[in-house]
Amino acid sequence: MTFFKELRFNFMKDLGGPALMSISRKGRKRRHRAPNPHFGPALKSATRLKEIMTRHYFLSRYTEGAKPVAWVTSGAPVELLRAFDFYTIYPENHGALCGAKKLGPELCAVAEEHGYHRDLCSYARIDLGHYFSGKSPAGRLPKPDLLFASNNICQTVVYWYRALAHYWDIPLILFDTPYNFEEINDSDVSYMVQQFEEMIPVLEQVSGQPFKYRNFQEVVRIARDTSLAWGEVLATMKARPAPMSIFDAFVHLAPIVSLRGLPVALEYYQTLLKELKERVDRGTGALKDERKRLMWDNIAIWYKVRDLADLFAEQGMNFVTATYTNAWTETIRYLDDQRPMESMARVYSLVILNNNLNHRLKLMERLINEFEVDGLVIHSARSCKPYSVGQYDMKRLLMERLGVLSVIIEADITDFRVYSEEQTRTRLEAFFEAIDA
Amino acid sequence: MTQFYGPSRKRYIRQQKQTHGRHPFGVFPAHYPREILWAMNVLPVEIWDPPLEVSHANAHLQPYICSVVKLGLELILQGQCDDLDGFLFPHTCDSIQNLASIVYDYLDIKKPCYFFYHPKAPYRSSSRQYYLEQLQTLASRLEKQLGPLDLSELKQRVQQGERLAYVLRELYTLRARGELCASNTEFYRVIRQGEYLHPDDFLPILEGFLADRKGQADRLCPIILSGILPNPQEILHLLDNLEARVAEDDLLNCSRRLLQPPVAREDPFEALAENYFAMPPCTTKDSPLMERVGFLLQKAAHTDARGVIFCMVKFCEPEFFDLPQMVEELKEKGLASLVVDSELNQGLSGQLATRVEAFLEMIR
Repeated sequence: MTFFKELRFNFMKDLGGPALMSISRKGRKRRHRAPNPHFGPALKSATRLKEIMTRHYFLSRYTEGAKPVAWVTSGAPVELLRAFDFYTIYPENHGALCGAKKLGPELCAVAEEHGYHRDLCSYARIDLGHYFSGKSPAGRLPKPDLLFASNNICQTVVYWYRALAHYWDIPLILFDTPYNFEEINDSDVSYMVQQFEEMIPVLEQVSGQPFKYRNFQEVVRIARDTSLAWGEVLATMKARPAPMSIFDAFVHLAPIVSLRGLPVALEYYQTLLKELKERVDRGTGALKDERKRLMWDNIAIWYKVRDLADLFAEQGMNFVTATYTNAWTETIRYLDDQRPMESMARVYSLVILNNNLNHRLKLMERLINEFEVDGLVIHSARSCKPYSVGQYDMKRLLMERLGVLSVIIEADITDFRVYSEEQTRTRLEAFFEAIDA
Repeated sequence: MTQFYGPSRKRYIRQQKQTHGRHPFGVFPAHYPREILWAMNVLPVEIWDPPLEVSHANAHLQPYICSVVKLGLELILQGQCDDLDGFLFPHTCDSIQNLASIVYDYLDIKKPCYFFYHPKAPYRSSSRQYYLEQLQTLASRLEKQLGPLDLSELKQRVQQGERLAYVLRELYTLRARGELCASNTEFYRVIRQGEYLHPDDFLPILEGFLADRKGQADRLCPIILSGILPNPQEILHLLDNLEARVAEDDLLNCSRRLLQPPVAREDPFEALAENYFAMPPCTTKDSPLMERVGFLLQKAAHTDARGVIFCMVKFCEPEFFDLPQMVEELKEKGLASLVVDSELNQGLSGQLATRVEAFLEMIR
């Protein structure tokens, strides 16, 4: 790290960045969409969220030579990296951004030109497309010094990061979390704790900084409090009407994924929670007329979030819970700063996608009951096999056990070339009719 | 000819139950400690590509799931696993992982299911320790169903596994040198019997095959097969007809599971761990790409092969992710490659056959 580059980074962080963003905000012409008459008032915190995420990507351009940079998978135990002051980039979050901006097919096509098959995960193809083309709606992503992956969300991220490690010739650290076919046991936990211990010398070498246990404990505390706050944010949707929808939560998820362990994320969720509680007190809902309450399963269809939000709002149907958004708070109760390694092993290996399908079914049953859900929309995502394989049986079992109606949408998270508008509309119309019957 | 082929799977499974009291287990791909099963009088019957039409499995699995997984589930749903006493699911990929959970958690199959997690690369000292513990955990779980594991029996089975690997390595070596008189079709038909034959029966077949077929073979164009398994089988017939010899392979169900010469270990669990970590690189173990490239180049060097055919199973993520870089690296080293992308048991289309023909013409 050079002194000049560190100085430049700190200048942009404290002075240059905020000034430039303020100028850019004033100069930007706002696109005015006609407000959807079915929605309640928009969340005020959304402006702050945008600032935080824009600043995060903006500052990342100045990290080279100033801070060690790591690219991290969404389920990886980032707390360990924070203790070494890594600047973290989440390619999945970037993939979602590209998806929302409808850039998925363009970037996927670049990866496909380089031989990556169209059937592979579209987050991975977007990221590889970005690697080959440099294109990004975030301007430019910094080249990483380290790749940090955990297979607690899928094996795909390891194949994908292995490809990046090969192209860039940089170290890849894998946090290998044994899949919980049954209950987690001491041998699994001990294996994961040993891995943390083995990672530390590598992180010290790449970051050039010694491991400071107290700093690490502090990060763990912040991460735990942030995830708990995120959990409280989601829990506000138990109210009738729910003060926000899952489509809002898909957007407000960004800090818990990308900035977990940093004070800014905790502060943000405290602000959002305050606003949501006020809305609950006032009876302000995400929809003006919340007739039905739904649950979403799987990652969002990023290029359709707004369209689907409009479509369901017209029907008076609000998504009040999702297995996806819940993933960043579900296991946080295990996190303990007095036993950070062991507790982190449990937190990260017990997440929904690293757990057997019986666990998922029980979780869905609990959410359906707690959030008083009337129906379920299941996104069968081509890109995400661990999330999607088993959904057909889940649909059947939830109907048998709870009598909950559901519909499956066959789509993809970002690659809309495999999305059929007509087929989705037909299925949803049948679902609307059935749920209203 | 026929002395190198055992009975059909179904007949064999029934015979084994009746005559040896063995417990046949359905085992999904790919890496698992078969010696522990043998030592507990279990007959592992691997499920890779049963010759079935997929119908029932479509109610449980999306269209974008690979046919190894679909055919495996179809086999169960059609009631063709009724003779089996249990299942073992190694942790191979996301799809097999979730299939295991569908079978265990959602389908009331009333048969014991076992799971085996092997640590993923890059390997560290924790990986070895964990693998050992996984072996011991699997053994103790099996003991609950099948009674105590006799350690001396396990030792014997570990040695038998090593002997089996030795004969297989001999066969591979002879084939690589052009000193094995067997067609591609015949070679794979013989060695793939190891997916269900007990080693007591498989070893004599292999030894007989080795003794019988040792000799100078016709000089054919040497190539290497990579991928999951040699399916569609028509590709082997086609290569035979086009006078191409598969001189080596990098197939998951064949040489990627081939044990290397063993290091002597007193403890059979330690020996199994040593053998596992010494096995060739593999996508399902997350082996680094350059290890895989090096492995293929080594094979090309000692066989004079000038081309690699990648037999890809549609929707197989572990294999498809490595493919672009493998092809690129091999090209840089002057090795041509062809990608054959198909569903299992769907035959070889005219178009694919033409591509194989053109590829062989190019490398000859």
